[in-house]
Amino acid sequence: MNRPSRPSEFELVGRVTIGQYLPTNSQVHQLDPRAKLLMVLLLAIGVVASDSLLGLAILLGGVALCLVSARIPLGYTLDGLRPALPFLLLLALLQILVIPARGPCLRTVWEWAFFSVTDRSLLAGAVLALRFVVMALGISLVSFSTSTTELTHGIEHLLRPMQTFGLPAHEAALVVNITIRFLPILAAEAERLLKAQASRGADFGPGRFGLLTRARKLLPLLVPLFLISLRRADQLVEAMEARCYLGGKGRTNLIQLRAHPRDHLAVLATSMVVALVVYLGSIDVEGLILSSILPCPT
Amino acid sequence: MNNPTRKVVVAGVMGAISVFLGASHWGFVPWLAGAALTIMHVPVIIGAILEGPWVGVAIGAIFGAFSLLQGAIAPTGPADVWFTNPLVSILPRLLIGPIAWLAYRALRQISEVAALAISGVAGSLTNTVLVLGALGLLRFLPWGVIGTIAVTNGLPEAVLAAVLTVAVVAAWKRIAIGQKGSTV
Amino acid sequence: MSQPDTLISVQDLAHTYLRGTPFEVPSLRGVSLTVAAGRTVGLVGPTGSGKSTLLQHLNGLLRPQEGTVHVLGDSLTDPSINIRDIRQRVGLVFQNPEDQLFEPYAGDDVAFGPRALGLERDQVRERVRQAMEAVGLSFDLKDRLTSQLSQGERRRLALAGVLALEPQILVLDEPTAGLDPLGRRSLLDFLSSWASDAKRAIVLATHNMEDIALLSDDVYVLVAGKIVLSGPARTVLQNADVLLQSSLSLPVSVELSRQLRRRGLPVSTDSLTMDEATRQIEVLLRGDS
Repeated sequence: MNRPSRPSEFELVGRVTIGQYLPTNSQVHQLDPRAKLLMVLLLAIGVVASDSLLGLAILLGGVALCLVSARIPLGYTLDGLRPALPFLLLLALLQILVIPARGPCLRTVWEWAFFSVTDRSLLAGAVLALRFVVMALGISLVSFSTSTTELTHGIEHLLRPMQTFGLPAHEAALVVNITIRFLPILAAEAERLLKAQASRGADFGPGRFGLLTRARKLLPLLVPLFLISLRRADQLVEAMEARCYLGGKGRTNLIQLRAHPRDHLAVLATSMVVALVVYLGSIDVEGLILSSILPCPT
Repeated sequence: MNNPTRKVVVAGVMGAISVFLGASHWGFVPWLAGAALTIMHVPVIIGAILEGPWVGVAIGAIFGAFSLLQGAIAPTGPADVWFTNPLVSILPRLLIGPIAWLAYRALRQISEVAALAISGVAGSLTNTVLVLGALGLLRFLPWGVIGTIAVTNGLPEAVLAAVLTVAVVAAWKRIAIGQKGSTV
Repeated sequence: MSQPDTLISVQDLAHTYLRGTPFEVPSLRGVSLTVAAGRTVGLVGPTGSGKSTLLQHLNGLLRPQEGTVHVLGDSLTDPSINIRDIRQRVGLVFQNPEDQLFEPYAGDDVAFGPRALGLERDQVRERVRQAMEAVGLSFDLKDRLTSQLSQGERRRLALAGVLALEPQILVLDEPTAGLDPLGRRSLLDFLSSWASDAKRAIVLATHNMEDIALLSDDVYVLVAGKIVLSGPARTVLQNADVLLQSSLSLPVSVELSRQLRRRGLPVSTDSLTMDEATRQIEVLLRGDS
């Protein structure tokens, strides 16, 4: 007889996912990881620096195009956005109704009690939503199309110019690498600790407790977690030194990253689009469009 | 002991703990009316105390990057959406480690345990003040609300951070805390 | 003499890890097992065979997805049972239990369990004293910093933490892993004497065949989530075919006897421990029949 399935409260290892890698071997997948990282960086700049709805819509179109070319199933991508929707809607609503908009020509669209919706506030709400969607899709795109090894190498290479400012590129990439690889180990240890302390009668259930009591209840889980991790860190250091690891200076790599013309092209194209988007934001293109259609209230 | 390899590894490991705390519910302590207290910044503080300010910066960067990614890909609450802005998620977190480290260095001559506790508080408050500050400056939230959050969430978080920092570092460094024996 | 009571009864237990997700993996497939009072049950199997999963059902950490588990009269499929009560009566000791120590002072860590039970202060103190002394630690160590104890002492401290709950059944996962020979010997001696009480029982999961040979009355062999062999220790541990096929080794004494028999020497293979094997060989060397 099958009982209804309820994942055990102790099963943590399956829940920690950081963004899937879908190897569909498309053109996007074959792009140099450095190019992809630069593109998402440019995207971030565009999203943050531009107030233009039109501009953000252009960025959205660009990202969507890349997703299609990467052969990522559309449903899968949108599924990823689903948990965010209710909050997004809430924030957009907040932006539209409560936060006062600024601008030269405010045309009131709707008014009720102390709520006032202007054309600008509607735009602001839409911009907020779009900003999030573009960033989320952009990051998902990179994660779907780039493996962790590629990413780590990409990060290391991109950080190299920073070495003149004192940033050790190799070490930084290694830190990221260790973090990623340590996560499943951590989840397994955490699960083990949870079970062991529960077996001794520890109670992690909800309840009305004061701050210090809550803090004390955390200790049986968190203190051993940190201690176990620090011990493993020591072991890792010993293992690395036993293999003659001496840091990044003069270190060569098995995997070599080579940039192709298409990588340069991709980054160039992205910069131009982002430049356009920022420009549109700076000239308040929506304001211009609206003013050409509707009169400005005095 | 100034081992560069050790710094890299501890940064990676503490970074992983911070991410783990954020990805699972371990990193959030339920508090008043739904808003939770976070302890994701505690690995940053501990890493900085043990291995120095730069390690603190590295762990803070990982913490920040993760909260940005979490906000973008798998948000668990409305506030997460604001964290897609690196000025809110990454920049403030870079300073948690160095400030905690400074507090620790300044006070450890007086009392190791007090230095750990104050360092925890300092690191936590840095997180609270700088993140909320960014939210205010970017006009995501009105200053009145920010002030309330700072007190109702920020202060208890500082206490939690202090408790955890003292417990972990004292155990790791084999230091006695306060009383001279067990209470049995 | 009356039939010993059945303390734990597992029937057709099945379990799938991460069920319902794309990563699901069956870990137990229709396992049945009985633990009687006064007996020590050994559970052997290669890594990944499901031993830990099975053990975690015995104190209610995992509830049966399919099949039944009855522990000390309670059925674990019944959602209304008092699970904390079960966890006090069945003490589960994980592998490397010293990892779970978190209190600054040793005595407090042992006291964690009794305090969680809500006992009075002097009762807690008494439990801690008895538990520590049972595992060979002086009660004075209670005021020592946990982090300053040796690994052997820490493991014993962790065990004391479970004993302080005064369980009726002890369930242990790889108890001697990582211990030096002296530490191992002393732990096994302790377990042996703890189990001599006819109302208690021990379940021991390990792939260390020597430990199994020394302590078990009954043995279950678990391979890929299924019990492939079970019965009295003496019978099971001499079944070289099944054991070797299951990627397990034989107890040294059994292996030794086998090799000697292969060379035509009349040694019986039913010696489980080194002592028994030694005596067999002595007889042989003296030329007695």
